Amino acid sequence: MYRFVTTLVLALALGFAFAGPQDNSLTVGTSQEPVVLGDLLNVLGSMAIASEVELWNYVGLYRIDLDAELEPELVTEVATVENGRLVITELPDGAQEVEATLTLRDDIVWSDGHPITTDDVAFVYELSQTPGMSLSSPDYYARLGVEVIDEREFVVTWSPAQSSDLVGSPIPVLPAHVMRPVWDDVQSTVAGLDPEVDAARIGEIYRGFFTDFGSPAAINEGRTVYNGPFMPVRWTPGSALRLERNPNYHLHPENQDAYLRSVEYRFITDTNALLFAIVSGAVDVTSSVSITFDQALSPQITARAVDRYDIWFVPSATWEHLDINQFSHLQQVSDLMLDDVRTRRAIIHGIDRQSMSEALFDGLQPVSHANVSPFDFTYNPDVRQYAYDPEQSVAYLEELGWSRGADGIMQRTTEDGRTVRFELEFVTTAGNAVRERQQQFIAEDLRQVGIEVRINNAPASVVFAPDFLSRAYDGAWTGMFMFAWVSSQASVLNAAGYLCRNAPTPENDFAGQNLGGACSPEFDELRDQAVAELDLDLAVPIYQEMQAVFAEELLAIPLIFRSNPFVVTQGVVNYVASTFNQGYGYPPAAPELVGWVQNGAEQVFDQADYGELYE
Amino acid sequence: MFNYILRRLGQMLPLLFLASVAIFTLVSLQPGDPLDELRMQNPMMTPEQFEALRRAHGLDQPIHVRYFKWLGRAVNGDLGRSRTYGVPAAEFIFEQRLPRTLVLTITSLTIALLIAIPVGIFTAVRQYSAGDYTITFLSFVGLSTPNFFLGIILLYLFVIFIPETFGVRALPPGGIPDLMWSDVQVGRATAGEFIRQWATHLVLPVFTLATGSMAAWTRFMRASMLEVLNQDYVRTARSKGVSERKVLYKHALRNGLIPIITLVGLSMPALFNGALLTETVFSYPGMGRAIFDSLVGKDYNVAMAALVFIAILVVFFNLVADILYAVVDPRIRYD
Repeated sequence: MYRFVTTLVLALALGFAFAGPQDNSLTVGTSQEPVVLGDLLNVLGSMAIASEVELWNYVGLYRIDLDAELEPELVTEVATVENGRLVITELPDGAQEVEATLTLRDDIVWSDGHPITTDDVAFVYELSQTPGMSLSSPDYYARLGVEVIDEREFVVTWSPAQSSDLVGSPIPVLPAHVMRPVWDDVQSTVAGLDPEVDAARIGEIYRGFFTDFGSPAAINEGRTVYNGPFMPVRWTPGSALRLERNPNYHLHPENQDAYLRSVEYRFITDTNALLFAIVSGAVDVTSSVSITFDQALSPQITARAVDRYDIWFVPSATWEHLDINQFSHLQQVSDLMLDDVRTRRAIIHGIDRQSMSEALFDGLQPVSHANVSPFDFTYNPDVRQYAYDPEQSVAYLEELGWSRGADGIMQRTTEDGRTVRFELEFVTTAGNAVRERQQQFIAEDLRQVGIEVRINNAPASVVFAPDFLSRAYDGAWTGMFMFAWVSSQASVLNAAGYLCRNAPTPENDFAGQNLGGACSPEFDELRDQAVAELDLDLAVPIYQEMQAVFAEELLAIPLIFRSNPFVVTQGVVNYVASTFNQGYGYPPAAPELVGWVQNGAEQVFDQADYGELYE
Repeated sequence: MFNYILRRLGQMLPLLFLASVAIFTLVSLQPGDPLDELRMQNPMMTPEQFEALRRAHGLDQPIHVRYFKWLGRAVNGDLGRSRTYGVPAAEFIFEQRLPRTLVLTITSLTIALLIAIPVGIFTAVRQYSAGDYTITFLSFVGLSTPNFFLGIILLYLFVIFIPETFGVRALPPGGIPDLMWSDVQVGRATAGEFIRQWATHLVLPVFTLATGSMAAWTRFMRASMLEVLNQDYVRTARSKGVSERKVLYKHALRNGLIPIITLVGLSMPALFNGALLTETVFSYPGMGRAIFDSLVGKDYNVAMAALVFIAILVVFFNLVADILYAVVDPRIRYD
């Protein structure tokens, strides 16, 4: 009996033995599973984990490196005005058009050895221009043009152009030689349908086209090819996705056997179970979509880190803030004078954001002073900063006519003779423990300065539904709303969030991200100048001025920038993320260089340059 | 009887129609639609472009039009595609999630029954013995321990505590293995390896799921057996000299099992629903998570396919139960 038990335990243990360095593989733990891979036009929606996995399988014309700089990947060089590849012309209406002439490298092939040519670029462009294709950025593709010169050279046109167009690859690349025959069949099917009557059916057929190449079944049958350093070879839905080295990738290091042979993404959707997997060593590293910040700081993880794994906190461009309802036609807003900047200043001076960051996040989530990440190249460090100053807060309120009532809460008499208490509605996502703790912290601070907070939380599906979120104008929420915006460099350059015209009102059918209806004509004017300025050196000061106006006017109350936790087993090198790496901060910077030092992989990138190590 | 079954089958159709209307309406009445997030992320999208997107997803039409379009396709066997997973909803539910859920729920049900019935009999026969008290105590512990809590404790024990204390990793931290039966069929893995991997992944969730039913059924079995053992016919059997073994297993057990059969029958549809909490704790991709995620993610086709399927099961098992009553109890007759 004893021998049986011993044998069983050993057999089981062997099955889960640490494999990483032994077979040069890497197991990445993630709490999300992609839907499909290769949907580079985001026709089926955009998922962070899909974008992250695709970094291993697909490369674009450019690569955004750890410092958020563009590097050529499939093309010979990045188009710039200096090298003559970027030409800006004025359009008759005053807008500008940009032409980028790009040349594909001559040593690039798909994983089946077929050359990557301009036909692959033209194919994606054809897909993007197909009516009924449910693109997630139709506005971008409506301004885009592609003209093929020859097999290697092509011209991309943006008309009218925006500064954000110059960030990232102009257009993705997909294998036309594999996908076009199926696309032709799809087109024949759609030709028999009426675009008006059968719009939904057509949309489904187009989405099905991408699924047919990127679903688990398609991956397992090897229906398509890849141009990245790795290629997916096996996907067990709900379990794992295995990637193997693509021998035809053009940028593999010479001593490629020192680097990873395979990568396995383990899908462990419950973050507690994922935490167990990390602690037990069942995963080597975590993805950008994994355990929460709280869990990364939990004793279960931190107490076992020594000599086993590093816990990194990488600043992200995810910005937690308080949107304030500033629609002055609402009585609650005008009673509390939320549309007056002095009220918003009283609120921000009344919140000890630094202590909150230290108490709740060990100071690893930095306080923000405006809406742009300190790691963005347009960041302005000299904006007005609001320190915790309850006296100043009270002074602002008193200046507006408020005085403390018997219960310590501010009250005032309105012009029509009513007495109003400073009772402020505070909405956030119920069930998000981190936010709810911040909310308690803020509520307690505000009470000290005489502002009573009335919490009105609901699940994310309720508060983020447009009937609530975008209806501040109708008074669906009347005070403060705490949530986060996720930014990329492109969205920072777009800067459309707080434009007066993007306030959801009946006039624009309640569209727009400016949920609280903040409005600063100066900010709008600067933004329109900034997006039209295609020389980024000249645009940066304008963006910085916008941030200054934002902070001065407090279009929203900035709280903190989130940090993403990454757990990396000691010995793994170059599995590094940064705020804007590859656009959104996903690891790694160069998948082909990730490996184990035990196997001879050399460290090129250091996470310490882009994040903070938990010690 | 035949006419009765036909009549009941006839009644099922309007019932299922009404159920599908109710489910579709409730799912569609959730605040927001699947494209809201996209619209929020991209403020540069014009209203026309957004409208085109809604049209491409079929969200521009009123609920009743969408329902009848769905129904028209559903009766032809087309349940649409999962918005979240991209694959046909039927494939997602019936090929991916349902088999996994059935493996989990049927295994745990079988184990629970195999343990609960003999243990229940034992505690009835040895009423008020030390063994009875111990099992009663354990049953109450099992009944009062929530699944998610037990699951986390088991995960801690087998995934962290034992490996750290004894240096061996015995069980995986949840999920399912990266090995399917098709791998065995194509020779990529042996049947032994397949069974070993699935067994190690299933042992904790199965035990977690089985505990509650095991405890409840042990108590029911005990109570039922105690009642039967005090019946006159049992006393008569004993008095005419039938062996205790025969009295117990031939006379008492058959009648004592009837309430358990009813309970097990009632839990049949739950086998297909999945077990949301257990699946969540162990990251086991089954029906429970599929239904929950589809509702939260507004994946209408998957939600409809799963919920209507469960509605069909409930109606069907009700009919089966009614028929079985007539089969088991000769006093019941349907005209």
